[in-house]
Amino acid sequence: MATGRGKGTFPGGVHPAEGKAISESRAVEAVPPPKQVAILLSQHLGAPCQPLVAKRDKVQAGQMIGKSESFVSAPVHSPVNGTVKDIALQSHPVIGRVTAILIEADAEGNTPQTPVFNRFDHTFSPEPFAVETICGAVNDGGLVGMGGAGFPTRVKIEPNPAMIKEVLVINGCECEPFITCDYRLMIEGTWQVLAGIRLAAKAAGVEKIRIGIEDNKPLAIGAMTEAAATVKDIDIAVVPVKTKYPQGGERQLIRSVLGKTVPTGQIPPTIGVCVLNIATCAAIADAVVLSRPLTHRVTTVTGHAIAKPGNYYVAMGMSVADLLDHCGGLTAQVAKVLMGGPMMGFAIADLTTPLTKTSGAITVLTQDDVTKAKYEKQQTPCIRCGRCLTACPEGLNPTKIAHAVKFNRMDLAEQYYMSACIECGCCSFVCPANIELTGYIKTGKILVARAKKRMQA
Amino acid sequence: MLSKITVSPAPHVSSKLSTRVVMGDVLIGLLPAVIAAGVFFRVRALAVIGVCVVSCVVSEWVCNRIRRRPTSIGDLSAVVTGVILAMSLPPAIPFSIAVIGSVFAIVIAKMAFGGLGSNIFNPAMAARAFLAASFGTLMTTWTVPSTVDALMPTISAANTSATTQATPLAWSKAVQKGQVEAHYINEQTSGAFWGKVGGCLGETSGLAFLIGGAYLLIRRTITWHIPAAVLLSAGVIALTAWLIKPEGFINPLLHLLGGGMLICAFFIATDPVTAPLTTKGMWIFGIGVGSLIMLIRIVGEYPEGVMYAVLIMNSLSPLIDRFCKLTPAGGTPHVK
Repeated sequence: MATGRGKGTFPGGVHPAEGKAISESRAVEAVPPPKQVAILLSQHLGAPCQPLVAKRDKVQAGQMIGKSESFVSAPVHSPVNGTVKDIALQSHPVIGRVTAILIEADAEGNTPQTPVFNRFDHTFSPEPFAVETICGAVNDGGLVGMGGAGFPTRVKIEPNPAMIKEVLVINGCECEPFITCDYRLMIEGTWQVLAGIRLAAKAAGVEKIRIGIEDNKPLAIGAMTEAAATVKDIDIAVVPVKTKYPQGGERQLIRSVLGKTVPTGQIPPTIGVCVLNIATCAAIADAVVLSRPLTHRVTTVTGHAIAKPGNYYVAMGMSVADLLDHCGGLTAQVAKVLMGGPMMGFAIADLTTPLTKTSGAITVLTQDDVTKAKYEKQQTPCIRCGRCLTACPEGLNPTKIAHAVKFNRMDLAEQYYMSACIECGCCSFVCPANIELTGYIKTGKILVARAKKRMQA
Repeated sequence: MLSKITVSPAPHVSSKLSTRVVMGDVLIGLLPAVIAAGVFFRVRALAVIGVCVVSCVVSEWVCNRIRRRPTSIGDLSAVVTGVILAMSLPPAIPFSIAVIGSVFAIVIAKMAFGGLGSNIFNPAMAARAFLAASFGTLMTTWTVPSTVDALMPTISAANTSATTQATPLAWSKAVQKGQVEAHYINEQTSGAFWGKVGGCLGETSGLAFLIGGAYLLIRRTITWHIPAAVLLSAGVIALTAWLIKPEGFINPLLHLLGGGMLICAFFIATDPVTAPLTTKGMWIFGIGVGSLIMLIRIVGEYPEGVMYAVLIMNSLSPLIDRFCKLTPAGGTPHVK
């Protein structure tokens, strides 16, 4: 087979402080159902959903309340029994404001949903589930990539004659500092994760499975290796990879684990690889075996400014403010609330922003954390030291791209392959001149996308 | 619940690196050379360094005020320019000329181009070129280091003064013209290493720059590519010339240790602002600098070529960068 072996690492990358000690030893804990949820109709890449319910309708927990006919899309479900209060615009952590279905939970009859780790064990076999059943359940369950990008999972795993998948790479890196939700899933929900992996492997029709886990998580590596050893019907192995940010970027992980390179501008299936993250695998098992749609997920609440940090099993649609209240509120002076971790997370302005399928963490930074980061300081001229070039995991020239964007030269930015940027933040992290290179590049990408849209219109 | 939360683009954490740290590391790297200069040329050397540093910093501050920009002297880059300029001056240089050089370096070569990061030429080298053109004699009068007890008997015949002495590279020219036999000059090789030859403040001891260069490499303030390219290319040319005609050229080791070769390889050619960004570009730049230095030393009329080599290659840096674009990790995408 053409697949080589990876060296467990990739060129570039940085080593931010891990900060995982705050929450890594805390077991997953269920959060009581919120009084109100806001289900965003766009929680994934692709077409937004259309509401299937109207104002004042009664909804049941697990009921599908929004879907789209588009191929690249995923439906949304209500996490609670309740009444639709309104269908209105709501803050989205990433893309501004989108339509959401606001549901008021019933006062009675809503029991907290708990994780179902104990429903799976080593006897699980994907045998009884046909490929169509798996893909159907994954689609109806509203599954998307829960690592951050939110790409509809069905599109990823279902057989596609144009792009035959050979290897399933499971992303257990969790390279983003502070976040520990996937880590807890691998330790507590080992068998559920493994069940999901095997179902996905069956649907995708791959020949082998590689589970990449950063070597700073020996407990997770141990648990997953032990579980994987019970699987005899497919080539499956855990691959410890070097602890380095952004090891969990799918292009980087494929390089580390398989030694293969995804061509610039292409997606992993073009080289026969499918990448799924840990939380997504757990959700696949939930959806296929237990017919539970994706309405809850494990979210890490962490940071130095939080009273009860930990890993919480929460209803999506719950507001960040409600979740933070449940976690004992905020302690020290809060400076930033991030949806996600400190390298790629989005700083939110509106704490009523609801949690989405891709909300792996809420990181609360103190003024002290923020001051320590140099972006607060004066930005000084680029001295062309080249550190951003060395740090860039995609082999780009961040300073050239950023300065092209700064002077509104999008053509030049594209000549330096701006669209190949994965927005990991390594260049900003290392820049001695405090230049927010990633910020410039993201801005440039948005401006180019808008210009293209205008041209089409 | 909250009075104020900040919204800003990711990432929200960063390394502690700053321009000041980078420049501070360069200064630490220059420290052995500064100490060596102090040992060889006593207070005079330290005074020259002091004058250059102070006038560079003051010039930058004045430019900031004139342009109504925030003061930028905190980034220490003016201090670095001052030290490197001083290192490229003869110890006996009049202070007034050192001041003129410093003002030229900062005002004309750096701030007129837009300040740190925007200058095309290495400010210290541009200033040195200006001084060499304006004050030729003063720029080529070399004090005998205090470490030399007496003039070497073999070459004293050519010396008329007891306090000045020609540099090994000046003698190298004499060798090429057949006026002196090469082996007399080659005896100075260990002197050039330890610091027993005449020259600018920074041309005396190779050892000091090797220590400083090693520090920069360990701290990753510079990458190894430019020093390697400069020294390798210069070494190969010097070796070739020497192998072809040993009696006509000084030995290659003396070429590498003598003159400004080492300060150039580790501190001047590696100035990030005026060197290319990419690794491939750094190789081309370094080979260009090394080859030009040797070309000037061997073929040209001047005994030393560091200054012109660096300035010429500085002017080519943007072009080199343009031709050495990086290929993304996933290869060049197909053109639509």
